[in-house]
Order: sequence, then C-alpha cells, then structure tokens
Amino acid sequence: MIVAALAVPFVVGLLLVLGRRFVSGRAAAWIGVAATTVSLVLVAAVWEGREGVSGEVDVAWIEPVGARLHLGLTAVSWPFALMTAFIAVLCCLWLVADDTSPALVGLVLVIGASALGVFGSLDALLLFVFFELALVPMWFVIAWWSDADRDVAHRAATRFLLFTVTGSALLLVGIVVAAVEGGSLELTALRPTAVAIVLITLGFAVKTPVVPLHTWLPDAHSSAPTVGSVLLASVFLKLGTYGLIVFVLPSDHLGVVAPYLAVAGSVGIVWSALACYAQDDLKRLIAYSSIGHMGFVVLAISTRSEAGLAAAVFGSVAHGVITGLLFFAAGSMKDRYGTTSMAGIGRGLYGRAPWLAATFVLAAVASLGLPGLAGFWGEVLSLRAAYDVGSVLTRPVAWTALGLALVGIALTTAYVVRAVRLLAQGEPSALEADRDLGRREVVVMGALVAVVVVLGLVPQLLLDLYGPVYVGVAR
Amino acid sequence: MSRRWGYVGLTAVLAVVVAVWAVPEVMRHGYFGRYVGASRPGVDPPLPSLSPDLFLFPQAAQIVLLAVGVGLLVQIYSTAYLGRHPRYRSYALVIVLFLLGMIAVVGTTNLWVLLVGWEVMGLCSYLLIGHEWETAPARTGAAKAFLVTRVADLGLVMAIIVIGETYGTYDIVGAQVAQADGTRHATLIGLLVLVAVIGKSAQFPLHTWLPDAMPGPTPITALIHAATMVAAGVYLASRLFFLYADSQLVLTLMAGGAAVTMLMGALFALTSSDLKRALAWSTVSQLALMLAAVAAGGAEAGLDHLVSHGVFKALLFLGCGCVMLAVGSSALSAMGGLRRSMPVTFWTMTIGFAALAGLVPTAGFFTKDSVLHAIEVATDGDHGLAPGVARALLVVALVTTFVTAAYATRLWVLTFLGPVGADRADRADHEVREQPPAMTGPLVVLAVATFALSVGQPLHLGTGLLSTAVAGAGVATVLLLARRGSALDRSPAPLTSELWLDRPFSRWVPAAAAPLARGVVDLDRDAVDVYPRGGAALVAVVSRGLGLAQTRNVQRYATVLAVGVVVIVVVGVVLR
Repeated sequence: MIVAALAVPFVVGLLLVLGRRFVSGRAAAWIGVAATTVSLVLVAAVWEGREGVSGEVDVAWIEPVGARLHLGLTAVSWPFALMTAFIAVLCCLWLVADDTSPALVGLVLVIGASALGVFGSLDALLLFVFFELALVPMWFVIAWWSDADRDVAHRAATRFLLFTVTGSALLLVGIVVAAVEGGSLELTALRPTAVAIVLITLGFAVKTPVVPLHTWLPDAHSSAPTVGSVLLASVFLKLGTYGLIVFVLPSDHLGVVAPYLAVAGSVGIVWSALACYAQDDLKRLIAYSSIGHMGFVVLAISTRSEAGLAAAVFGSVAHGVITGLLFFAAGSMKDRYGTTSMAGIGRGLYGRAPWLAATFVLAAVASLGLPGLAGFWGEVLSLRAAYDVGSVLTRPVAWTALGLALVGIALTTAYVVRAVRLLAQGEPSALEADRDLGRREVVVMGALVAVVVVLGLVPQLLLDLYGPVYVGVAR
Repeated sequence: MSRRWGYVGLTAVLAVVVAVWAVPEVMRHGYFGRYVGASRPGVDPPLPSLSPDLFLFPQAAQIVLLAVGVGLLVQIYSTAYLGRHPRYRSYALVIVLFLLGMIAVVGTTNLWVLLVGWEVMGLCSYLLIGHEWETAPARTGAAKAFLVTRVADLGLVMAIIVIGETYGTYDIVGAQVAQADGTRHATLIGLLVLVAVIGKSAQFPLHTWLPDAMPGPTPITALIHAATMVAAGVYLASRLFFLYADSQLVLTLMAGGAAVTMLMGALFALTSSDLKRALAWSTVSQLALMLAAVAAGGAEAGLDHLVSHGVFKALLFLGCGCVMLAVGSSALSAMGGLRRSMPVTFWTMTIGFAALAGLVPTAGFFTKDSVLHAIEVATDGDHGLAPGVARALLVVALVTTFVTAAYATRLWVLTFLGPVGADRADRADHEVREQPPAMTGPLVVLAVATFALSVGQPLHLGTGLLSTAVAGAGVATVLLLARRGSALDRSPAPLTSELWLDRPFSRWVPAAAAPLARGVVDLDRDAVDVYPRGGAALVAVVSRGLGLAQTRNVQRYATVLAVGVVVIVVVGVVLR
C-alpha cells in the first residue's frame, strides 16, 4: 500500500510533465487531485498502531552498499506523511483553474511524492535519494512559475538549490560515516559518531532552517508561486525537522549539538519575530514567521524528552497546516491585487472581503499560538520541555532558551497584531479587484481551517501517539 | 429585527443550560470534590489534553451565572444599541463565543481548558474593542489590550507548566491532592499567576490597557471590561490561592500592588472628564479591592465582591451607554440635567452609584464590608500577610472608600443634576429622550439585582459602621461642594494625565520596537548573509585562478605536463 501511495502521484506527476501538451490545466489539476487523494487515503489506511512499523516493505536494492528499499511508517513519521499527502491534495485543488500549467501540477505531484518517500523511508540512503529528488522540481517551480520578476525568481531558486545541495553534501558524508560505524544503512541501526552528528545536523539545519542558516528562505518563499510557497513551508521545512528527529534526536552524541540547537532555535524565534515586525511584503512576513516556528521545534528536539518529541512533531504538523493556510490566504490576495505588499493591498479588508479577512485573521492568531488552535500545543510543549531541561541540556542553557522563546512569543503577538491592523482593520480603501472568497478558495481554506481548529481543540489526536495523555477524571 | 432576536435566543438557551447546571450548586457550601486521577508530586505530568472536566467550585456557580445573566442582558440591550450596525451578526456571535470562554474558565478543573477559555476571552475582547475598526482609537485600544494581556498570559502558561512539573498533574483538584504531601515552588507559581492576574485584571503597572479599551461598544465594556473577563483575574488568583498561600513574598506583592492600584484608580476616576473613562478607572480600583481581599486570605469575600461589583458596574456601564446615545458623547461636559428627561436611567444609575459608593442597603455595601473585614482580620498576622502590611492595606482601603464615594457622587451630580453641560448647551435642538425598553429593561433588572444580592450577606458591625461613616463623608463632601456652586472640575495635571504611566506602552516600546526590527532586517541582509555571498565570492576567485590555467595554449599545457611528470618522477625516486 505504501508503495502505491508513493508511486501513484509520482507516476501521474511524471506523465503530466511529459504529456503537458495533451491535457488542459484544469483537467491536469483534477487528475492531480485524484492521484493525491488516492495517496492520502492509502497513507491513512496503512496505519496499524503506534507500536512498531506500519505497512512495512523491505526489498533488496543496492546489494554492494547494503542499501535496501525499506519503507514503512512509524508513530513519528505517520503524522508527517499524512500532513504531506493532505497538503498535496489541497495544492492540486488550488490549481483547479483555467490558467494552470499542467506541468506545474505534475511537478507538485512529484515533489509531494518525493517528500512522502522521505517520511516513508526506513533506509538512510533511500531517504537521502528521496530528499534530493524533491529538490530539482522545486527549482523549476520557483524559477519558472514565480509571479515575481524572472531574474529575481531565478536567483532565489538557485540560491535555494545551492544552500540545500550544500547541506545535502554534508548530510551524505554524515550518513556514510554513520553507516560505516553502525554497519548498516537501516535508520535504526545507524551509529553516527560525533563528527557525523555535526555534519548531519548542519545538513538538516539548512533545510529547517536554523538561524543563521536561514537566509535562503525569505527569498525562495516569497518568489515562489502560491502552491510553491505552500509546499516549501508546509512540506520542505518538515524534511529538515523530520531529519533532525530521526537522525539527531536518538543519537548518543546529541549532547554535542544540543546546546547550539537550543540556543540557535530560540534566538531564531526572537530574530524572526523582529524581522517580521518590519516587513511590508506579506509572503516575506509569513516566510520569516516560519523560522520562528521552526525555532520552537528545534528547541524541543534539543531537549530529548517525551514532551520534546511530542512538541517537535506537533509543532511541525501544526506549522504545516497553519502556514499553508496563511500562504493560501496570501495567494488569494495576490490573485486579486497582483501584489503581496501590505501597502499595495490596502487597509480595511474586513469591509472589502470579509471572509478572506476573517480567514487570514484566524490563521494569523493560530500562528501566534492562541490556545485552542493548532499552533499552541507545539509551542507550549516546547516550553515545557525546556523548563524540564531534559536529558542532554544543562539548566542554564535550557532556561536561557526558555526565556528567549517567551520573549519571542510576545514579539510574535506584536507583529501579528500589526499585520491585522494594516490589512484587516482601517478605513477601507476599496479597490476594483475586491471580491470575497470563491468556491475553490473556500474548499481549500475551509479544509485547513477545520484541521487547525480540530487539532487545537483535540490535541489528543496527535499527542496520543507519544505518551499517556491526561484524560478527564471521574467524579 | 427577528434575526437580531435569534442571537438573543441563542444566548438565552446558553443561559438556561448554564442555569440548570449551576443553580443547584449555588446553595452548596463546603467542598465535595472527589479526585480519582493519579497525581503525585515529582512525577512527569501526562501530555496535555482538553478533556472538559466540568466542575463548579463553591462560588464559581455564582460567577458563571453572573456571566450568562449579564451576557443575556447585554444581548437584549444590544438589539437596540447596535442592532442597526452592519456588522451586528459578528458582534453578537463573538459575545456568545466570549461567554463560552468564560464558562470554560470558571467551570472546569482542567488547567488547559481554563487557559483556552482565558485566551478565547482575550481574543473576543480584542475583536470587540476593535469592532469599530475604521476608527483609530478602536484599533489602537484593541491592539494594546491584546498585546498587554497576552504578554501577561505567558505568566499563566508558565504557571500551568510549573504546576504540572511540580505536582504531576494539570488538574486543580489533583494539585490539591498532591499538595497534601507538601507545598513546593509556592513563590515561583505565585509570581507567575500574579503576572497573569495583573495583566487580565488591569492592575498596576499593566493597568493602562483597560481605560484605552473604552472605544469598544459600551455593552461590551459592561460585559467584558467590567463584569466578567477582567474579574476572571481575581477568580484565578483565588482559585489557585492554595498553591501560593505560603509565600509571603507573593502575598505582599499582591497586597502592595492592590493598594497602589485601588487608590490610583479611584483618584483617576475622581478627576476624569469622561464618564466612561471614569467608570473604567473605577473598575480598575474595584478589582484591586477584590485582590486585596484575596491577598489578605479572604478569597471568599473577594469573590462575593466580584459578583456584586459585576452587577452594579454592568448597570452603570449600560446606563452610561443610554446617556451616551442620548447626548452623543461620553464627555461629562456634554451631560448634566438629565434627571427629568431620562427618569429610568436616572433612578437605576442612582442605585448603581450608591452601590459603588458602598451605601446601605445595596449589595455593594455588604460585599465591600466583607472585604474590609477580611483585611482587618488579616492584621493579626495569622493569615499569611504581615500585620504591618495588612494594617497599611486597611488604611489605604478606607481612604479609597472615601475617594470612591466622592467620585461616585461627583459623576452622579455631573451627569444627572446640575446645569446642562457646555458641550451640549450649544446644540439647542438636541432633544434628549429616554431610551427604548430593550435598553432600559436590563437596567431595571440589574438595579433590582443590586438590592436582591444583599439578601443573606453577612454584616460585620465594626467595619460596616466605619465604612459607612467614611463613605458618607465622601458623599457629603462632594454634595457640599456642589451646593456651594463648585463645578467639581478641580483636576491637578498629574492626575488628569494619569501620572504619565502610559508612556512606556504608548511611546517608548513602539519607539524602540520599530528601529530594532529594521536593524534586524538590515543585519539579516548585510551580516548574516555574508557567508553565502562570501562563499560565492571565494568560488569566483578560485574559478578565475583555475581559469588562468586553461589558456587553450597547447605549448603551455605540454610544459605543465612535462614539469608535472618530472616532479612526480623526482618525488617518487627521492621517496623511495
């Protein structure tokens, strides 16, 4: 089943890219929706429980190096895979429009399938191959389908590619060292040395991104087309956090990198919040906010605790849906006004496009971690993990990170309130392009809003996978 | 029209459901919580969940009834006050959401549910203050309220985390059970709770957001910024009191903050030139009085005063709304002489002002009496607070009682008696009329409740006589001044500018934030981005160097080749 979940979107995606002249954009998007829905259903159906591996497939692959086609989903990877498949469906739905290019749909499918492959791999080399497979199509998506100026888009795309490929090179060396040490490429059998852990951490830190390795992100996210931004934020960044969770978190040498991760993560929260406060471009603002959210995840990983693991997975998944929603909302504004500059969009969206404004405000307050919405639980569990110090950090480091994270939350509120004030509130400056959400937008954003609210009100859905959850006491 | 009553109906259904649940609990005294969950100090708490765990502690039933009761009255009132507003629907729905948040805060033992309700209330407050988002004061007030309360709410988040790590549970009753083995981290938990309470209940030094929240619609002020949400801070302080009751530091800080806030708020109310803003300062001051009771170990008295204050302050704000609608302004200079033209508003608000001043036989008198009694009892030093601190607190509370009676009388005189204010006298054609029954009806209900709540309240003769004398003196002073023809507008500059305590929030923080943020963006571009660009430059240099070698000159290639071969041979020979 898991093979089909990967193969269906991958093959359909390739066919769409090759046969792009023979289908209309709208038809291609519907084909994409069908393929990704199949994939989503399969990923959901493959689940067998939090113990062990679900839907395991293990076939010999490259005998000389001991690499195997070993696929399967665990309690850690299943939420990631589910979120990726879900976002892929929504991206295809978003592309159901007349001006869609069939090749773009195809690339989206390939990227989604490759990311699913990363989360489904239990073999380090296979994981690395999928990891790289997702990169190149993303270059095309950013460079060719960007709404921005062609040169700017090319530069942003190339920058993205160079950063990530450099990271991947470090990662590959790290994996090889770890595999030699552990005698196998199985994820569970890897024994990274301290050097390997540093290399692997650096590789994934570029992708996550951890400050100060983040400068590729604002350019790439703001130049990409709407689906590209959504895929980058919701799926690509998760490749980084997922890598940190499966390679670095269980390692014996986590202590070597943990203090740096904790401090870099929490500095990133403050840094990105301050950067957000000065942004005029909405997509750049959302991109910077991602760095902050990833900071919480990285901080949680560095503590190595039950709460930390839960925080990392919950934070990643929640960021995927919330930032996806934010980028879709920004995309809606871009479609209407041709710009994502807040000054260009103008004020008083509450009056000009009430449902669009309400969706944006909901996503924004979810993003600032309002309790009762999805963004909260990852953050609060990170705070708890940092307060608890965990098994590898020292108390001064952990509590410094905790303090920085709290400052960051306060600053996050400030920039969200500023953005709401600049966009949603204010004397409406009516433009001709004003119109409220269309049917396609309602479906895509409605689905994400539902997930944000449900995950926020029933966090047990995810947290149950990671430990005993507090259930009500009988009286 | 019928659509508007649909939202009233929705609220009424909610109110009935809550009443069925809470009314039987009101009569219950003592404590019947049975906790069967596991909770031991020192163990890792479970991962959080939002299991509802509905449970009403003693007195919580009264608060939740107050919330839905005032909420229902406010919905009825709003049909007339705001019914024609184009965004009435979202307004009415946010009120319902707010009430759900309040029920979540008061009606559960799960701290996470409490937190969600707490923040949902904050969000609703933000949305409703900013209801008139076209106007700058509403936007600013909303942003400020949200920012200040959310920063303070981080105290509650951390308090819950610390409680979990200390007692191994996120359940209030569970923490009580676990605490039987010994109180731990009392000061830390207490300080964190205190931060949350100070923010939500607008206490010094985080008090400035509440007066600035007044651009919100007046019914919202009555519900959220007087009767319920701001009072939730007091509820939280008393509910979690057992966790920090041992900490002298926390109690002293709480008492000190309350003393400063109650007197300061009362003085600002006394000198305010705006009826609504004066009432907001009055709320700040009254909340401080409740917190003083909590700090003195009389949480029960504090919560009693919370309920009675909720009723009479909602009455005053709703009455203020009637007056504002009639004269078109909330400035005291536009009022005066409304006694005859608005009789219902006049009589009901008179009752409200009497309760605020603490006059017999309103509920305000009895509950304030209980608070004073609780502080007086604490002067023996057996209730956690040091005797000296408690005595100072009692003195401040009595002085505040005097000032409170004085400003209540002043507002009453300036609004309803006296000459027509200068700002309205200009508009001679403006005919002031009584408001429709949908607005005056709730006033009457609340006025009746102001008396009804005094039934069964305890009376402490000593403090009762003392506070009546003090309050009477306050009322008499202002009435005498008014009779002598004073315009009651003596206002020293430090008080009218509210001691410039708002400067850090309105000027310094924004002034610091913007350049800091711009600096980060510049650094991000010019400093952090150096290594990729440095890397690119390095690659360029290296490639140019390598490019020099590729000259397409075959002779040079051959020379290099030959030299290389010779070098390799020499090295090979030498090394061997």
